[in-house]
Amino acid sequence: MISASILYGRLSRSLAFSRRHARIGATALLLCAAGVAQAHNPMADCKSVEGENIQCTGGFSDGSGAPGVTLDVISYDEEILVPGKLDENSRITFARPDKDFYVLFDAGPGHVVEIDQSEIPQ
Amino acid sequence: MSSHDTVSRWKRWRFHLSALMLILPIAFMPQYFHRVALFSGDLGLGQRVIGEQTVGPWSVRLAEFEERPPELDGGAGYMKTFSLALCDGCESSIRAMYLRVGKPRSLRTAGAIFFGSPYRQTASVPIPDGTTPDAMLWLTAEGWDGSVHHASIPLATASPTTAGWLRKRGGR
Repeated sequence: MISASILYGRLSRSLAFSRRHARIGATALLLCAAGVAQAHNPMADCKSVEGENIQCTGGFSDGSGAPGVTLDVISYDEEILVPGKLDENSRITFARPDKDFYVLFDAGPGHVVEIDQSEIPQ
Repeated sequence: MSSHDTVSRWKRWRFHLSALMLILPIAFMPQYFHRVALFSGDLGLGQRVIGEQTVGPWSVRLAEFEERPPELDGGAGYMKTFSLALCDGCESSIRAMYLRVGKPRSLRTAGAIFFGSPYRQTASVPIPDGTTPDAMLWLTAEGWDGSVHHASIPLATASPTTAGWLRKRGGR
């Protein structure tokens, strides 16, 4: 009986100790998480691949991808040359147009990235 | 030195350390309350009011939200935040306001959209690589009637801090 109560005492002390540590840990985690809020600005990048093709990748500055988001290739006279959507890897590949063009990653009004053809090395 | 002395010294230091941890945040209080006032609008539109800008039939009061250089936002590049207030009585006529560096090709490329109440909206404007200190900021107003109006303002007037930062970077 005596040894059982000693064992119970030790156990409860150890539980209280680990609970206190858990509380300290949780507080530290919350304090760290407080500064983790990130911006969500659109970003896009295009490069030449396989001869005359161009590959563009879209996403957001918080690291999230953009599968299914619109990426259009538009001529300087505002004709849509390639109406595109990014694939599941947030990429799209298209043939370099013959006309002067720019690429528009369009994640909604005011959330766009424009890349001029001069910014895509051949 | 006995182990008892070491323990009691550590306990004393632990007490002072705890007191320091309580006092330390007080030093940051003025800065904290300044930022709270800025973000809540108690300090007005922003740290530096640029002035009244006419855009088509409307006007807006434009401000630099914080008087400091653009901030890097990962792969999205450098961003600079501006704020504005729509003119009295035109709140219900304006659908959206946009701001960007350089003349927009179309409404789709009008730049960053302002969000918030008509009396205080903000937008984070990307500052593209290669922007020069003499670049122009283009403000676009889209009306509910479908009309689109533009106005431009020198970046150096809108944000001398950003122009100075660009000058230091040398067009990178």
